[in-house]
Amino acid sequence: MAQVSIGSLDDFAEGELTRVEADGTALCVVRVGDRVHAICDDCPHAEASLSDGDFLSDDMAVECPLHGSSFNVETGEPDCPPATEAVQVYPVTVEGGDVLVDV
Amino acid sequence: MGIALIAGAGMAGRACALTLRRIGWDGEIVLVGDESTHPYDRPPLSKSVIVGTADMDKVVKPAPETYAQDRIDLRLGTRVEAVDAAARTATLSDGTALAWDALVLATGCAPRRLPIPGLERAHRITRMDEALALQALLAEGPRRLAIIGGGFIGMEAATAAVAHGHSATVLEAAPEPMSRPLGREVAAHVLRWAEARGVDIRAGVAVEAVTDAGVVLAGGEVVPADIVVAAVGQAPRLELAEALGCAITDGGVRVDAGLRTSVDGVWAVGDIAAFPSRWADEERIRVEHAAVAIGHGQVAAEQIALGEGLFEDLPTFWSDQGDLTLNVVGVPRPDDEIVWRGDTQTPACTAFYVRDGRMRAALSVGDMKTLRGVRKLFAAGVEPPPAMLADPAADLAALAAGG
Ligand SMILES: Cc1cc2nc3c(=O)[nH]c(=O)nc-3n(C[C@H](O)[C@H](O)[C@H](O)COP(=O)(O)OP(=O)(O)OC[C@H]3O[C@@H](n4cnc5c(N)ncnc54)[C@H](O)[C@@H]3O)c2cc1C
Ligand code: FES
Repeated sequence: MAQVSIGSLDDFAEGELTRVEADGTALCVVRVGDRVHAICDDCPHAEASLSDGDFLSDDMAVECPLHGSSFNVETGEPDCPPATEAVQVYPVTVEGGDVLVDV
Repeated sequence: MGIALIAGAGMAGRACALTLRRIGWDGEIVLVGDESTHPYDRPPLSKSVIVGTADMDKVVKPAPETYAQDRIDLRLGTRVEAVDAAARTATLSDGTALAWDALVLATGCAPRRLPIPGLERAHRITRMDEALALQALLAEGPRRLAIIGGGFIGMEAATAAVAHGHSATVLEAAPEPMSRPLGREVAAHVLRWAEARGVDIRAGVAVEAVTDAGVVLAGGEVVPADIVVAAVGQAPRLELAEALGCAITDGGVRVDAGLRTSVDGVWAVGDIAAFPSRWADEERIRVEHAAVAIGHGQVAAEQIALGEGLFEDLPTFWSDQGDLTLNVVGVPRPDDEIVWRGDTQTPACTAFYVRDGRMRAALSVGDMKTLRGVRKLFAAGVEPPPAMLADPAADLAALAAGG
């Protein structure tokens, strides 16, 4: 694992999904308060970019724009079909306003 | 413990085998499939696989080494030929004889054979090897496709092909394609959207023959084509179930909510299973869709490992037609009344299927918020009146939460 900086906390608007390339891995990133979550951007079900979907703040989940499975940003688990597998979750730390992802 | 034999390594069989291990069952698992490819997701075949855009690692999954790691004895290219319910034995096509304690029938459907001269020269796309053969031809350059059959698979293949620079004519015998699964009104919208994307749909035509020149229709007209695809429907493969003496209902293997057949120690899952569903007034239904197949496989595994588990999921399915995605929840019937929400002139709307004044299913296109709300309504058992469903201002998720 390599820790990669993907920008500063201010680059990410609250609850908005952003696609970020970190060390060759496409991530779907979302800021919630002072925390930032990163999951793999590629939906495990079919061909969709999760950052094109919606962030459901009540469920802390990212909803796939294609078939609507939503993935919890902390566990990666989908809530309903058609996805059955969890999406990869990447640990994020915020240090002095700098957002660092382990990829 | 003992031996679990799973006949058919498709979506339901695969789910059953993997779930058995995931929940800690320690018996022997033998997963037998007559295809040569490792188990894969079938839906992409008619969508991304034929046009070469699929990420194959996500289609053929889990990774092949998983089976050895999970101590799943996967026998590919092998068919379960014969089964004996009294002796609890099975014979495979390679001559192997096996004993089993639990038998899971997961044999899926076989394509319908129609007595059309020359149909054997048409491509089929219900198996990986077939879809890859079509992919190789489409990769050579723009082609004229004639697709016999305007169901989901035919329409998906047609829309995927036109999105990738090919031309596609869909030939459908029924006067109103897709009206059986979706009802006339919704089907008409789906077809119109596909036509707007360049698919040529010819409904109510009778195919007489397939020749080198293309497809010959009744009356002699030839629809010229470089490639002919047959997507003419399928029927459950019931040979093993019949040989075992399992009760058959409405063209499927009769099971209870635990996917148990009428024969002790035998389960039936996926496309072949006729199961009771509370989403269909407790009637038995047979569903040929992926999420149900996976759920069935999981429940059969729980039954074998723990002696409990019922399939009670809300049936759902999707169909990608080029850039148009249909998401369906519930069990729609062709004669349901349709209530629309959103602008039906655009593919960003939802059709509610209403029966006896109650919402029974919804088909949503490009409207994830409504889809999410509908799922919550079903989960909460809340049934807003149709007028409210039609009102774009009504917040369905809030109604589900009692608001
Ligand atoms: C082209 C296509 C597109 C689809 N698209 C969608 C979609 O978009 N959305 C959706 O929800 N559903 C879709 N489906 C339906 C979905 O794929 C099926 O419902 C699901 O695969 C059913 O799972 P199953 O395990 O019952 O059968 P299958 O996945 O068909 O698997 C059955 C397997 O058993 C094998 N077999 C049969 N008999 C024997 C035997 N005696 N011995 C050994 N092996 C045997 C068969 O060769 C096959 O490999 C699609 C299906 C097809 C064909
Ligand atoms: S592609 Fe994401 S749920 Fe299907």
